Amino acid sequence: MSVDFVRFFDALAGAGVEYILIGGAAANVHGSARLTQDVDVVYRRSKENVAKLVGALSPFHPYLRGAPPGLPFLWDAETIWRGLNFTLISELGNFDVLGEIVGGGGYEALLPCTVEIEAFGHRLRCIDLPTLIKVKRAAGRPKDFEAIAELELLLKGALDES
Amino acid sequence: MIGLMEDLPPDPVIEAYKPGVDRTLLRANLKLTHEERLRNLMALQKFAEELRRAGRGLKR
Repeated sequence: MSVDFVRFFDALAGAGVEYILIGGAAANVHGSARLTQDVDVVYRRSKENVAKLVGALSPFHPYLRGAPPGLPFLWDAETIWRGLNFTLISELGNFDVLGEIVGGGGYEALLPCTVEIEAFGHRLRCIDLPTLIKVKRAAGRPKDFEAIAELELLLKGALDES
Repeated sequence: MIGLMEDLPPDPVIEAYKPGVDRTLLRANLKLTHEERLRNLMALQKFAEELRRAGRGLKR
């Protein structure tokens, strides 16, 4: 399922959600040419921000991705507060909302390692390239090896014609 | 605190992947704006979805 980035970022910006774009979509922002099927964000773990996050995405009916049909799941602030990381499917496509990530920590720890970009009429916070490489390395997933190679070439500017 | 990238030594597994990376695609992407890169990703996702749909049709 494709992700409707325009409506996703519109919804988050409209509610004033504090988040950082990470993962494959962030890799694309930095120049990666690889396909990712979802969008991943790290959200600030404050009660106020969790309430904003829930309100922003409620209209799109998020549900646990890969969960058996009929499994009870309530997209509300209490659920998000009691949990941490959620892998979801919605009318906007697949997205992950993460309270913490391996090798990077939570929103506050990542914030100094972000860049602001302009897209779809909004200023978005995106994880910077060195930190993206670092967290992908820390995750240690074989599926990321080629993506990390690509990101390291982008970081070093090693893209000459030779 | 997240350490600096320089702290990380080269990983031989990652290094082995580098010769196979298509640098032409990366160079082309770097000429685009951030929004254009995300719009390309959306288009690619839709294309992949169409291919999967077509593939499911073939299995019937």
